[in-house]
Amino acid sequence: MAHAVEPEYTTTGLSHRKMLMWVFLGSDCLFFGALIATYMVYRGQSLVGPYPIDIISVPVTTISTFVLLMSSFAMVQALAATNADNKRGIVGWLLATAFLGAIFIGFQVFEFNSFKNEGLTLGGNLFGASFFTLTGFHGAHVTLGIIWLLAMAIMAAKGRVGPKTALDVELLGLYWHFVDIVWIVIFTLLYLIGGFDAGPLVPPGG
Amino acid sequence: MAHETQQDIHHPSTKQYVLIAIILFAITIVEFLLIWDRVGIQDDLGSAKIPLLVGLSVVKFYIVIMFYMHLRFDDKIFTRIFIAGLALAFLVGVALLGLFTGLNGDQRSYALDRAIPYVEHAETEKAEETTTPAAGGTTETAAPGPITLTISAVGDSLAFDTSDITASPGDEVTITFINPSTANTHNIVIVEDGTKDAVATDGTVAGQDNNWVKPGDSRVIANSVLIGPGDSGEVTFTAPASGTYQFVCTFPGHNFTMFGDFVVN
Repeated sequence: MAHAVEPEYTTTGLSHRKMLMWVFLGSDCLFFGALIATYMVYRGQSLVGPYPIDIISVPVTTISTFVLLMSSFAMVQALAATNADNKRGIVGWLLATAFLGAIFIGFQVFEFNSFKNEGLTLGGNLFGASFFTLTGFHGAHVTLGIIWLLAMAIMAAKGRVGPKTALDVELLGLYWHFVDIVWIVIFTLLYLIGGFDAGPLVPPGG
Repeated sequence: MAHETQQDIHHPSTKQYVLIAIILFAITIVEFLLIWDRVGIQDDLGSAKIPLLVGLSVVKFYIVIMFYMHLRFDDKIFTRIFIAGLALAFLVGVALLGLFTGLNGDQRSYALDRAIPYVEHAETEKAEETTTPAAGGTTETAAPGPITLTISAVGDSLAFDTSDITASPGDEVTITFINPSTANTHNIVIVEDGTKDAVATDGTVAGQDNNWVKPGDSRVIANSVLIGPGDSGEVTFTAPASGTYQFVCTFPGHNFTMFGDFVVN
């Protein structure tokens, strides 16, 4: 990796790549912020069911939330193994993170499928539209992260990841943890708080 | 890279990472217990529930970004960049929520009251409308002795101007529906008594292409096609056996206020 061998000269004395990652994460906050705000605006405005209380299962999603939190722990272990130059540890923890992320996606596929069977669709009502858009984009972020993790694990297995390229793993970790904190917010607002919403909060027609 | 070696000194140890993971799990369990009805805590919380849940998730959020994402040990500029994005996102949310709740929670009527009809759009809809009824075969209603009724929507309101219409069993009924609205599209559907909301719900799922009516719905006696703003249309059918029926607009949301009784005797 050429960038790790050549010294990096920057005006701030900080890595440009890390700076870029933080700028991206800051802007991604706006992306999810807009989708979450849209969900909150349309909360309780659906005129027809199914409503959240009809379909959302908080216990099931609490388990998948656990899984995602655990994957964040595996991710920090992967970075620690990278700094310690423990090749087996790097590959193992990266695969563990990807595996836990895949379980989370499995839960989401199961959830989306059962919601669809119960009549919730992207075009059926405001709840379906705002729910699937928000959680779908989050799921897409997780999926991208899994691909990145697997690619990194393959590189690590080939011996190309170590203390000199620890920044590569750190950036991956930042992205992964970000996806985790977005889920923390979604889980609280859509499931813990909004998961028990019934019909329209405001009677339609004015 | 100098900053990396500096970080290595400050990075939390594995022990600390495990501790953080346990804290995160514990908070999630507490959150779950707070809302799980079988535990019964949520009844005692009342209005404190939402601030408590938000507070707990903020704590989790903070722990992850500070320790797992190392913001606490890293250069302050990363924190500033991220917090700037987060603050902007938060403000976007507050602004949107403020804007929409400021409309007394009823965005549809607010938008309706202020809607400016788009003339070209109305014209294309008109063109579509004239072709569909012809295909539906409503032109053959010149048979002698049918009952002709006229119903209109009330301006831009989601209401019919009549609350009940009557016919005798076996009558060939032709309902002319006039839609004077400047913005709303409507239809008129004759349904079994008490089924208007259920028919409308299924119609919403069936979609606009089916005129917001589920194809083959056994509760539906007759239905018109969609009638655009400023337009009118007809629906012809044979009056069913004596009894009370309903007429309703199944355009999503309209069924709550836009309906009436159809009495056959």
